[in-house]
Formats: sequence, C-alpha cells, structure tokens
Amino acid sequence: MDKLSSNPLLTDARLTCLYDGSFEGLLSAVFWAFEHKEDPCDIAVETNLQYSLDQLFLPIDTDVEKAERVKAGIIRSLGYQAYKDVRCVFLSDDERKGRVILRFLQYSLKRGAGSRSDLAEPKIADFDDVLRKVNREIHYQLQFIRFSRLQNGVFFAKIHPKANVVPLIMGHFVARLNVQPFMIFDENHALTGVYDCKRWWLVAADTVSVPDATAEQDDYQALWQTFYDTIAIEERSNPTCRRNFMPKRFWGDLCEMVPQELRKSRPQTATPTACARLVGGQSRKSLRSPLN
Amino acid sequence: MELLDKLTILADAAKYDVACTSSGVNRAAVNGKLGSTTSAGICHTFSADGRCITLLKVLMSNACSYDCTYCVNRRSNDVPRATFTPRELAELTIGFYRRNYIEGLFLSSGVLRNPDYTTEQMCEAIRLLRDDYGFNGYIHAKAIPGTSEQLLTRLGVLVDRMSLNIELPSETSLRLLAPDKSGQSVLAPMRFVRDGIKENIQDKTTSIVKRARFAPAGQSTQMIVGASPESDFQILNLSASLYRTLELKRVFFSAYLPVNTDPLLPLVTKAPLLREHRLYQADWLMRFYHFDVNEIIDESNPFLDPLIDPKCNWALNHIDLFPAEINRVPYEMLLRIPGIGVKGAGRIVKARRERSLRFEDLKRLNVSTKRARYFITCNGSFAEGVLFDPASIYDNLADEARSRHCKGVLDGQLSLFEESAPVGLMSASAADSSAQRRELVPWIN
Repeated sequence: MDKLSSNPLLTDARLTCLYDGSFEGLLSAVFWAFEHKEDPCDIAVETNLQYSLDQLFLPIDTDVEKAERVKAGIIRSLGYQAYKDVRCVFLSDDERKGRVILRFLQYSLKRGAGSRSDLAEPKIADFDDVLRKVNREIHYQLQFIRFSRLQNGVFFAKIHPKANVVPLIMGHFVARLNVQPFMIFDENHALTGVYDCKRWWLVAADTVSVPDATAEQDDYQALWQTFYDTIAIEERSNPTCRRNFMPKRFWGDLCEMVPQELRKSRPQTATPTACARLVGGQSRKSLRSPLN
Repeated sequence: MELLDKLTILADAAKYDVACTSSGVNRAAVNGKLGSTTSAGICHTFSADGRCITLLKVLMSNACSYDCTYCVNRRSNDVPRATFTPRELAELTIGFYRRNYIEGLFLSSGVLRNPDYTTEQMCEAIRLLRDDYGFNGYIHAKAIPGTSEQLLTRLGVLVDRMSLNIELPSETSLRLLAPDKSGQSVLAPMRFVRDGIKENIQDKTTSIVKRARFAPAGQSTQMIVGASPESDFQILNLSASLYRTLELKRVFFSAYLPVNTDPLLPLVTKAPLLREHRLYQADWLMRFYHFDVNEIIDESNPFLDPLIDPKCNWALNHIDLFPAEINRVPYEMLLRIPGIGVKGAGRIVKARRERSLRFEDLKRLNVSTKRARYFITCNGSFAEGVLFDPASIYDNLADEARSRHCKGVLDGQLSLFEESAPVGLMSASAADSSAQRRELVPWIN
C-alpha cells in the first residue's frame, strides 16, 4: 500500500486511526503507524468520534499478535515500568490518550530508555501528565472507597472514578482484605471487580443487582458518621482545605458526607468538650448532643 | 451506655491528639489475615477542619486521674466519662477497617486508676486485634508516662508506632500546667522506646519474625504551642534535639485551643494556627531539606516571620547565594530554592541531563515558579518582570501571604502579628531566650 499521506488528494487531510476501544486495538493502531511510517494526528475509539471536514478516518483491525509485538518492543527498549505506564495512560478518561501514547512511543522507542528522563520534552511531558492524573485517581480510590456489608456476606462498593481504575486497584484490596469477599462496581465505566477469597476477576456490565445491606451495616455506618463529626475541631473549621484534599465529586459515595438530617440514628450524649466549655450556672443535664 | 455514645465521648476526648498518620512502615499482606500497611500511609477522609483521618483515633478511657490544666479530660472537669472494653474497641476497629473507613487504630487514654492498669487495658485491646481477629493493619499507641518497662515492651511489640506526648515545650511549663507529670516521667519512657527500636534494627536474627519487632514505624511526640510562653526558637531547638537524641520520626505541634478556663492558662481567643503552620514548615526543612535548626531561626529573632515562610526567609537572609542557575547548581542548592520541593528538585536534575531548561520547561516539569521565580535564572536570565532586590521580593511574597491568610479583612495584617506571639503568660523573662536555652539542655540530654 502506498503511503496515504503521499496521495495528492489527501495531502491536506488529517489522518485519524480508529480502534475498537481495547488495549490490543490501540497497540495495533500504533503498530500500523510504525509499519507504514505514517504519522496520524490521532488514534481514537470508533464509537466516540468528532467529525470534521478535513479529517480522514482509517479503522484499524485489532490484531493480538501485532499488539504483542508492540508490547514486547516497549518492554525491550524502555523497560517493564514503561509498559505499565502505557497501560495506565490507556485506562485514563482523557480524550487525548490515543495520540499521547502514540507520540510518546514515536519519540521514546527511537531514542531508548534514556528518553524517559527527558521530562521537558512536550511528548514526554504530556504522557507524564495523563499518567500522573491516573495515578492520582488510583490513590483517591484507595482512600475513598467505602464498602457495605450485604446480606450474602459480600462487601460491596460503588464508585464513580474519572479513569477506568478498577483493574489497577483490585490488587491492593485483594491483598489487604484477603479473608473478605468483595465487589467494586465502577458505574462510570460499567466494570466490576469481584473477589471471592481465592481469586479475582472483572465483569463488564452496566448495572449490578445485589442483595440489601445488613442491619449491622447501618450500625457501623452510624458509628462512622458519628466518629467523623465528633473528631473535627470546630475552631479550626477549614472547608477549603477539606475540599482540596477530598474533592466534592467523591462526596456522593462517602457515607460520612451524608447530611445529618438524612441519617438514621444519632448519639444522645453531649461531648466532653461541650461540657467543659459550659459557663457557670448552666447544668450539664441541659446539654444535648451537638449533633441533635 | 450505648456504643454510639461511648464513641462520641471517647472520640471527642481524643480529637486534640494530632499524630493521625499511618506512615513509616511497609508491611505486605499476609495470607489468611486482614490488613496491610504502606509506608506513605493512606488518608481515608478529611474532617470539617481539613485534617486527615487515617486511623480510628479514640481514647481507651477518659476517666482520667490526672489534672492537667489544658486538658478537657482533667479530673476536676465535670464532663461525661466513658471507657471501652477491650473487645468493644477491637470489634469497632475491625468493623471500620473491613469497610475501608480507616487504616488502623490510634489508641490513647486518660490515666485510668494508674498508668500500669491503663496500659494493660490498651495491651489487651490490641492483643485481641492482633491474635483473635488476625489484624495486620496499622496500630499507633500512645504510651502513658509512668508505665513499667515490662508493660512498655509488651505494648511495643504489638504496635507499629509508639508515642509519648512531651506536651509542652519546657519543663517549667510542664510542671506548671501538668502537675502530675514531670520531664523525667516523659523522657525516661521515650529513651526506653528509642532503645527498643534500636535493638530490633541491630538484632537481624529476630527481625524476620515481624510481630516480634518493637514499634517498627518508630516513635513520635507532640507538644502544645501557645499555651506557654516559649518562643519558636526554643520550640524548634527542642524538636531538633528530639530528632537528634531520641531519634524520633515526627514531632507534632498542636495550636493551643482554650477548652478549660484556668488562671494558669493564657487568654487566647483564636488558636495560633498560622504559627503552628510556620513551625511545621520549619520542621519540614529540617527533616527533608537538610536544614540545620540554626539556619532557620536564631536567638535575636526568636519568632518565625508570619508573612513569609521560613525557606523564603532563609533565602532572603542569604541573598548572596542567589540567583541560582537552574541548569547548573547542585541538587542540595536546588532544595534550598523557595518553592522548589524534593520532587521538583529531583525532576529538574533528571531533565537537565537531557537538555538545558527554560522557564516554560519548568512548567512542563510541574515545578511551580510562583515563589522560585524571584530566586532563579534559566541560562543566565531572570523570569520576566522579576526585580532581584531583597526588599521588593519580600514585599511581593508578603503580599501573597496577606491576601491568602486574611482574605481581604482590613485589620488582617495586625491580627497576623498578634497570632504570632502568645498572649497571657508572655513575660519579660520569657523573651530572654538565652535563659531558655540553658533550661532546654538539661531537659533533653
């Protein structure tokens, strides 16, 4: 096949490779670009297109064998960590990810492992930028996932991350929770990680139907909400600081952020701090819990 | 009493303890057990005051037999009292951990009957967690001053981190405000813990059995800032010597908040939060940036500048070492540039091997030049609009702090200065820092 870009009818067109959304599909498109010495301006998922007049779309078939060759090439010349980084960037929701991976590989495969430290190169910097965001999302999930115990004994969590991180966080929870079966359902990416105390696997499904939570779950939730409210020091209140560390987009999945009026049970007792602050004449009996 | 009410009382009573970190030890998961630890720690939520919550921070009991003036749990306060049973506490911890609410347990206690009895109760709760519930996560225990050495050893091998609160920055203040404690009753167990930790570093043979290791995540302490008249100079010198002689992992500061009214306590209306913040910045410089305490603060200016951070302050005092050429100065010097952190300095060193860096490249490296721009050159030239003059740099940096900390309040600048110096107990002798220094030495060494 002639080089597409040498066709006089297409000189002004910008070429976009299309793939099926799988990691192997993306690597197949990278393989195609290297094989034909083409320089597509983007690699995009078929179903997610923005059409424009001067654009030329070329669907690339997913070929596992070619994808394996790209993977082997990355590991050989850049090391295993670089391959893991490429996988990580692939799991991002960033719409740039296709071209970011392509540019990164075009630049660094030619120059070898040393180019990984050329942090001021825009092609490397863009890649590291997307990578950093995925890693941040992974850490957010390790922090903010909340499990509920279901009546069948499984611990269930629903999350709404900005990247498709379930495959990247399962290892952490499998090792840590170990003796406890659990499921993590990512509603944004329609992917569920399942662990049954022996092995873990992924299930792609838009919805998951699970049994109700146990009564014990309500108790622990109430205890946790109480602890959360009580541990804050009123005089140090700093909502901006809290939002910086724990962005609002997570609050919907955090049981401690449920407003007090919507909660099931509240403590009846007043706190020691509230009692110690009482001024003379006031009786401790007159104090109710500040949460009431 | 219901568990919910007990938790309310014992969490409230513990909230002024600040060392809520789960860092310092990497322990892989063990098959058949619940839990693991990561050395960077994981914060699981942030309370309304912006502080991280990583551990279930509670007291075993707030029925304290001591009468420390600043403490909400003092004997003479008429407050509700509660005590967990060891099993209640162990079950609560496991229930929270299974739901990914916490990284582990941070257990402290008021002095229930006597220090030994209190420690026995704490040991029992933690032993239940480790043995009966197979808990492999993080545990931080506060040792009670006056506990016997056998009990301290028992506690030490059960937990990841041990800490003792030094409470106040000088022995005089401790004697005045915490009459049941003495410098020795705090320092002796701290030395004991240090020696215990040292032993498991030297004793390579037994360290394979991880559970037999003594406090593998090290030792920390905390002190209240602003309840007594010590200067920042004294406080920082004290923490420097704590790092040096007692080999602590962390020294925490807690801005004094009035809970009790007592004639011995200073009259403050606002917690000295900015002062606490500056002390932490100085603490970071000592722990991660190779600064010596004498470079950060000296006797003639015993308080940190509220308007600029201690690193900027150092740089302005050593302006002859600047501007620093980003492409040439060694790593140690990069670390000393205001606004450049450990990660940023590392990235600069890496990237400049490949090409010479310009200002726009620093942005790509994710290095902020907001403060650094006044102190650096790239290939010999300053950033646009920078006037390399200490007075104008100070003004620019201070303006930033004013707008940040005061949010447009007109008298903000004044209140900043008020916060920087403790009110109340501040006396003429307190300002005499050389006398204070003499007092520091025998207390620590």
